Amino acid sequence: MPDVAGSGAEESMKLPGATDTQSAHILPVERIEREGAPQRGPETPERRATPRSWETPPAPVPAPHLEDYQSIIGGADIDELRFLARDLRGKTIKMVNSTAVGGGVAEMLNRLVPLLGGLEVVTHWDVITGGNDFFEVTKAFHNALHGAPYELRPSAREIFLSYNEQNRQRMQFTEDLIVIHDPQPAALIASRNSNEKEGTARWVWRCHIDLSNPNPQVWGLLRPFIEQFDAAIFSSQSFARQLPIPQYLFYPCIDPLSEKNKDLDESFVQKVCDEFGVDRSRPIVTQVSRFDRLKDPVGVVQAFKLARKYVDCQLVLAGGGASDDPEGAVVLQEVKEAVGDDPDVIILDLPPWCALEINALQRASTIVVQKSIREGFGLTVTEALWKGKPTIAGAVGGIPNQIIHKLTGMLVHSVEGCAYQIRYLLTHSEFAAQLGRNGREHVKENFLITTNVRRWLLLLHLLLRK
Amino acid sequence: MTTTAQLIPPRTPVKSFYFNTSAHLLRITTGKANTLSEFLVALQLCPDDSIFQHTFRTLQEHHFIREGFSNDFAHWALAACNEPGLAEQLASVDVREFTTLAELRGRFVEIVENHLQLNPADGPRPAEETFYFCASDIVVLPTKFVAGTMQEFVNGLREVSVHSIHHHFIEARLRIKLMSNDFSQWLHEDVGLTDTARALNRIDIYTATLEDVRKQIVRIVERSLA
Repeated sequence: MPDVAGSGAEESMKLPGATDTQSAHILPVERIEREGAPQRGPETPERRATPRSWETPPAPVPAPHLEDYQSIIGGADIDELRFLARDLRGKTIKMVNSTAVGGGVAEMLNRLVPLLGGLEVVTHWDVITGGNDFFEVTKAFHNALHGAPYELRPSAREIFLSYNEQNRQRMQFTEDLIVIHDPQPAALIASRNSNEKEGTARWVWRCHIDLSNPNPQVWGLLRPFIEQFDAAIFSSQSFARQLPIPQYLFYPCIDPLSEKNKDLDESFVQKVCDEFGVDRSRPIVTQVSRFDRLKDPVGVVQAFKLARKYVDCQLVLAGGGASDDPEGAVVLQEVKEAVGDDPDVIILDLPPWCALEINALQRASTIVVQKSIREGFGLTVTEALWKGKPTIAGAVGGIPNQIIHKLTGMLVHSVEGCAYQIRYLLTHSEFAAQLGRNGREHVKENFLITTNVRRWLLLLHLLLRK
Repeated sequence: MTTTAQLIPPRTPVKSFYFNTSAHLLRITTGKANTLSEFLVALQLCPDDSIFQHTFRTLQEHHFIREGFSNDFAHWALAACNEPGLAEQLASVDVREFTTLAELRGRFVEIVENHLQLNPADGPRPAEETFYFCASDIVVLPTKFVAGTMQEFVNGLREVSVHSIHHHFIEARLRIKLMSNDFSQWLHEDVGLTDTARALNRIDIYTATLEDVRKQIVRIVERSLA
């Protein structure tokens, strides 16, 4: 079979410990030299044939300050945040969730907490503790709230309540605004009438998951707690429930200064493409997502093959999850079978810490696709739009909040529709460029972390003046 | 072409213009619609805040789009109901022709009612997506820009955020209950530039981005000072 990198003689490379299923069409990835690292010479087939070792995940980058965003959102918007915060100076917030590392919530709080603190709205972040039994139960709750079948047993209810009570006894709630993230710590609301600021503190439940079709037993357990909060926050209108408390919409957001989204030197983008065998002289269609059937990578391959009958292009499928998720490996195998011996399809199974490389691939792309069949919010779409890329995506989950059809991107419902839009955008470059410009502005207005800082400040204003 | 405005010499405003801005938080209400019939009922019952959110506010949220986006009702009628005729009618509603949300709501209700009377089969047909009625909670904020002179006014126009432009130029009519805006009112009442004030009211906000609108305002005001 030809090498999918399209560079001729070299053989596919494998990660140490990679299974054979990863060898045929996948280009396992070596960590590319980062900015400031010594520059290497041009890639050669001999070098690329040499197995490479993985680096450990990079150390976290220090969180940016508010001023660092001025060049992105403008001085007037930064000033507005300061004016919003001025009347809140000295107010305090406590964020409570269930994990300090890993997952989107922790990642978001890592950025949000220092930004609020920089505006003199002191924000504390506490993480609840629990045994394996607690997290097994709450994981099952999570899946059940997404609609999975589940029978709530008395023992699970007891585990959930007893760990919440233990944490409630351990924690103090003296802040002006207490924000409880997701279902795991929801029962901490029992503390609202026992804290030092009884009657003045406001409690908010921030739900990051899709509650549009929850398991009735689990929702029946949670609902009495949720109704005691002053407000609830959801990530999409469709995720909300009928509740007697105000419900607000906070879109998930991206950080434009994170490794995944910050501007990159053109030389680094080129280097990544060279490493992965991506030919920048030809149009590049890219989907970034885990190897998961809900992301429909096979459908993307089919759409690409239909489109390529009429337009020259390459397909890059950059994802992860195949090495640590048995189902991911199966899906990857299905993708390989769909690709066959096509030299224009490049499959990259990347580890989670390849944010810079993902960033570079998105920036190198002519079109980004996210042909999901089911989706939460779809932050990979946000990332692509932020980079000004014409984006084609499935009209599911939170994607229609981001892609306004024909204005900020193209929504599709089928393989054939996706293929047509690939052809159209590749042959109508000015229209595609306008979509890209609109998409970036849409993200700037609605889906950046600075917008969420504004939302938190506004919420504090609104709740404290009641 | 020489206009009356160009003949008016620069003058000192009687009162300073204070640039403010408004910040909005999106609230999800209980109203939603899966058909045009349900939409009509919800449109009649939803709070005024919802009418504001789906018209004035959505125009601000999509300020970077020049064409094809007028209000959320029109967008849903086209994208989810596949009713281009109804969508065109809803999109043609210009928020600047209304000084109260009740009047604005009445116009939308009238359009949908007429459509359903002429096309009763459209009423119960399921839409591809649910329309969720949201609302806007607003906090008005000062900015650091105050104009005691015309030059300071122009500087402020150039520097404030587009949210401030929207606050003074588009939302203002609901506050002042006039078919006008804060800039025009100030230019007319406190500066005496009545023609300039009128010229600002002729700027088309539906075929320009808010940045374009800002540039046009600056150009018109500067021309009056030339």
